[in-house]
Amino acid sequence: MFKFLVRGAAIAALLAASGYAATAETLRMWGPEQITEPLVAELWNGIKSDFEAANPGVTVEFMPPTGTISNGAVQAAIQSDAGPDVILTNSGIGRITVVKNAKQVVPLTKYYEERGWKNQIYPWLYADLQGQFGGEIYEVPDGLDALGIWYHKDLFAEHGWSMPKDWTEFLALMKAMKQAGVQPIAIGPRTPASAGHLFGNLLQSASGTDMVRKALKREIAFDDPAIAAGAVRLRELVDAGYIDKQMAGLDLEGASRLWFSKRAAMFVAGPWFTANARKAGYDLANAGYAPMPSDLPGETKPTGGVGWSWLVPVSSKQPELALKWIDFVLSDAVMKKRAQNAASTMIYPRALDGVEPSTPVLKEIFAAAAGGVGYNPSVYLPGPVVDIYFQVLQGVISAQINGEEGMKQIQAKLAEAK
Amino acid sequence: MQTIAGPTGPLARAAKVKTRMGGSTGETGSALWLMVPALAIYAVFTLFPVAVTFWLSFTNSAGFNTPAEFTGLDNYARAVHDPIVWQALGHTFLWLLYHLVLAGGLGLALALAIGSLGKTRTFFRTAFFLPHLVSLAVVGVIWANIYDPFFGLINTGLIGLGLGNWTQGWLSDPSLVLFSVNVASSWQGFGIYMLLFIAGLQNIDSSLYDAASVDGATPFQKLVHVTLPGLREVMTFVVSLALINGLKGFATVFVMTNGGPFYRSELITTYIYRLAFQSQDHGLAAVLCIVLSLLAITITVVFTRWRARLAQ
Amino acid sequence: MTARNREWPVALALAPVMLVLLAPFAWLIMSSLKTEAEIAQAAPFSWPANLMWRNYADAWQIGGFGDLVGNSLLNLAGVVALTLITCVPAGYALAKIRFPGREWLFYAFILGLTIPIQAIVIPLYEVLSGLRLVNTLTGIVLAQVSNGIPFGIFLMRSFFISVPDELVEAAKIDGATHFQILTKVFLPISSPAIQALVIISALSTWNDFFLPLIVLISPDVQTLPLGLVRFAGTYSSEYRLVFSGTVISFLPIILLYILTQRRFTEGLTQGAIKG
Repeated sequence: MFKFLVRGAAIAALLAASGYAATAETLRMWGPEQITEPLVAELWNGIKSDFEAANPGVTVEFMPPTGTISNGAVQAAIQSDAGPDVILTNSGIGRITVVKNAKQVVPLTKYYEERGWKNQIYPWLYADLQGQFGGEIYEVPDGLDALGIWYHKDLFAEHGWSMPKDWTEFLALMKAMKQAGVQPIAIGPRTPASAGHLFGNLLQSASGTDMVRKALKREIAFDDPAIAAGAVRLRELVDAGYIDKQMAGLDLEGASRLWFSKRAAMFVAGPWFTANARKAGYDLANAGYAPMPSDLPGETKPTGGVGWSWLVPVSSKQPELALKWIDFVLSDAVMKKRAQNAASTMIYPRALDGVEPSTPVLKEIFAAAAGGVGYNPSVYLPGPVVDIYFQVLQGVISAQINGEEGMKQIQAKLAEAK
Repeated sequence: MQTIAGPTGPLARAAKVKTRMGGSTGETGSALWLMVPALAIYAVFTLFPVAVTFWLSFTNSAGFNTPAEFTGLDNYARAVHDPIVWQALGHTFLWLLYHLVLAGGLGLALALAIGSLGKTRTFFRTAFFLPHLVSLAVVGVIWANIYDPFFGLINTGLIGLGLGNWTQGWLSDPSLVLFSVNVASSWQGFGIYMLLFIAGLQNIDSSLYDAASVDGATPFQKLVHVTLPGLREVMTFVVSLALINGLKGFATVFVMTNGGPFYRSELITTYIYRLAFQSQDHGLAAVLCIVLSLLAITITVVFTRWRARLAQ
Repeated sequence: MTARNREWPVALALAPVMLVLLAPFAWLIMSSLKTEAEIAQAAPFSWPANLMWRNYADAWQIGGFGDLVGNSLLNLAGVVALTLITCVPAGYALAKIRFPGREWLFYAFILGLTIPIQAIVIPLYEVLSGLRLVNTLTGIVLAQVSNGIPFGIFLMRSFFISVPDELVEAAKIDGATHFQILTKVFLPISSPAIQALVIISALSTWNDFFLPLIVLISPDVQTLPLGLVRFAGTYSSEYRLVFSGTVISFLPIILLYILTQRRFTEGLTQGAIKG
């Protein structure tokens, strides 16, 4: 027994020594999200070795993300001793506000001038970033999201369906789908962002970009009928059975399984959905993409905004190297390499001439987004409101509350968050 | 004149104290040495956090390692006015009840059946204990798939049996979700209660059964008059264990519904996690931590007293 | 209990109950051997055309289950060893040595028996982060041991109390110190209690999810339950991998249990009742 105790002590000592420290010239990078997918890994390993070749003595190490700012994983990682030196993660002003308020990320404003980053992103995007925190910028956009409806080309051809031009026709189409025994829309609101994707589309379609912007800037209330209309539509889709109530218990993966197996006709997602489709073995040539139809002129467009950004945590052990890495990622060579790669799953933060997207559906998405995108509220709402926002959407999809009531609750929380 | 060493001097008084406490310097020293490892770890990782939690509940702390100001009872007032706190509290009580009935009840029923077995006893006891070996988080992954409305075992099974209209949105129906998740949790939990009841059955004096047989008691009468009274002590123990286990319920809810849809499966523990790690509202989270502790302490005290009374 | 002639009717009645209660295992194992297309057919009673053992190889490799099992074992070994080192001597001191403040100390430990870990998570996280123990197995081991100390001490103390005081007195007359009495006299006769403590702390460590969720961030230090949940979240487009990964995560402990089930059962029940 005594021997056992001694051995136990040895194990405990060994454990104490196993907390690890970063080596001097290693750049630990949080991300990218899909690094475990072979195609994505191949692309990023290529970028990594190019960077290592350009910076002798430097090793880049990927930390596969365990989550986002929304679920606290990024914050926890920044606080830990094994924290990353540079972070690629899902962004948007709501999330950035959380890490900015916790003083966990370094302001990057001056580097936009010094290192010329401001010329490497769309001017409107730069202006947008400048307007968020009174001029201070904490992120460098990596990719933009453009959420819209994904559909099966073969299924549509088989039934003679086509993507309609306005909301009334859209309702008729969903009715036809239901009669044909196909679920019109699949959604997985247990993955919070996923509920927001569809809802952002409905909001855009019902109220238009200007109105949504006003609501997000708190110039009009969320429970104003002009904004609540989107939530009312969501509940209408549920009541008509175009969105099955049982989907309230699904997550993104469970819902996309319905779409990939063609039991559901439509799914609201962004360009990143190509990665999910590839993993599920779905033939991407069969995927079509269209923005949510709107009765308002010129408002039939995708929603989105900055989807992913680079951040430099205050705990970065290699802040200089982190900036160099961002320079490198913004360079023409890397950006074009990524855009042409089959693993590409997003819209890039500046126009890239002569780049051909790897899959036809991405081409459709780029075309749809060329005229600008509307807002995805999930990424613009402040942290404490986002949580209730997603829960309210679950409430509407499970038919527990109606649209107006739900928006009232969101507005109440917004008011409380000053 | 009084001397230090005299019968009423300080040394003697000290000695008296020691005698009363029943220790001597050497004894106290070795006791301390033997306690040091446990005390050190326990003080740093349990006692200190308990104290800090208490302090946090009076501050406006809004994140880890961020300065916080004393705000008095503000958080307590906020907790009282937060409808989700009340929902979470209600769900937690319901959750305890479900767990007690489902896991405790099944454990008791199986123990009574298995207790009467001879040759096949070990086989059934082993088989029925298997679910308890699966981690609750893994149970969550398994049952989320079992409950999947379109691909899961239950709904597709019902359709396969021609009972298509019995299918449910197990995790989406607001009146069903807490129960559904609890079934998963209780599926994992009943095994240990079963083992405890089986052990309790073995401790019942077999002569009591013989006497009952002589009196011509039916099996049901034996159950009511011999078996169940004989299990009373184990029963109080199992009930308190089940309540405490239920109170700690987190993993299955976190994995299967994350408290949704629309907070319909939110427990105190999952709400604490949401507040602490997602909204970074540490003040309100600390209030809930204290509520949770008080509930646990109450349960323990009540049942310890009850058991002590039974033992007399 | 009573007449053995009730054996077969009861066993026959229990069989269908067992079938229902163990059906999740059967369904899971069957699904884990299907192709993705077969799973998508949503036909729970159909056999896979070919048994896809490849799913297990793929899940093992992609999910890094080798590392996860290793981490879980290291975690378990650390907790069990440290729990014994802390609880056995402390339980002895509280049972057999009279010293001022003994009752008071005992109540301080009892307090911890009732407080759920979730109720102290915020400062606990800050302590770990202050000691630079976030994202390390050391951190998780210390927190879990601390969480288990009240139970361990309670268990060991009640066992040691049942040992007659004369044993201590006799050894003391021979000039033995308390440490010697503990190691030479008490430990050799304590194997039932120690076995119970080992089994209970091992099982609760192996299954812990909450602390790893908060403390272990990078995949290279994560333990099995957390790793599986993460894997299921990332790979749930490939259900064949989720199912086979799930089976991998509980198969070792179930096999271990079946092999040692008598000792396991005894230790678990004795420990739970005494504690």
